[in-house]
Amino acid sequence: MSVGSCDRLTLELIAADGLQVAMSALRLVSSAARRAPRSFATGRRGYAEAADKIKLSLVLPHQAIFTSTEVVQVNLPAATGDMGILANHVPTIEPLRAGVVEVLEPGNAAKKWFVSGGFATVHPNNMLTINAVEAAPLEDFSAEAVRANLQEAQRVAGGNGSEEDKMEARVEADVYEAIQHALSAR
Amino acid sequence: MSSATWRNVFTYNKYTQIAARALRQSLNESERVQAEKRGLTILRYQNWENGVGGPQTHLVPPVEKEIKQGVV
Repeated sequence: MSVGSCDRLTLELIAADGLQVAMSALRLVSSAARRAPRSFATGRRGYAEAADKIKLSLVLPHQAIFTSTEVVQVNLPAATGDMGILANHVPTIEPLRAGVVEVLEPGNAAKKWFVSGGFATVHPNNMLTINAVEAAPLEDFSAEAVRANLQEAQRVAGGNGSEEDKMEARVEADVYEAIQHALSAR
Repeated sequence: MSSATWRNVFTYNKYTQIAARALRQSLNESERVQAEKRGLTILRYQNWENGVGGPQTHLVPPVEKEIKQGVV
């Protein structure tokens, strides 16, 4: 029984009329409350059930990994921090850093791709588009190559080349470190 | 991240291409061969002025490959 609204109504009635009218009003309100739905009608936002899915399009310039496929959850490495997108997410545009995109399809195990960067856009009609230039599943990486590349990039970044070369090497080093972190956490 | 200041040095396009190149170079051998082809840019451009074309310049200067002589 929703006690808050009952109290206010009964107070007004007692002030206006006698106790008799208030009692009947109380009975009316309580029966109405029993008929009304318990939860809030609109704007309720709990955790999405597995039945609520979001349409994911994960596309690269050369390949479309997902094309409007219904998935339950997508975990993104946004530049501002890791985030998980569920169904009916508020529309947002997020730049991505080099990291792992994890997709939870209904019923299947989670699949991971390492993405070099790009943008993730949640559209108002429950669609999520991830645009990336390069992405590959974690199995396709060679830890040895990453280690060697990271050493080379760190050498150039700490050396005495031009500012542009050093910044380029630093960006590459960040990507290699992110790959190493993804491979070790697999 | 120490590379948060890349915006002072190059454009977003260049930054994305650098990160993509780094990813391609970290793949396994077979995937890397396929992926390297995606990184190839063969683009020449030419400015036209008053009906006369300027010199054609490569966007990315081609790397001169050394032709290895086989052992005779």
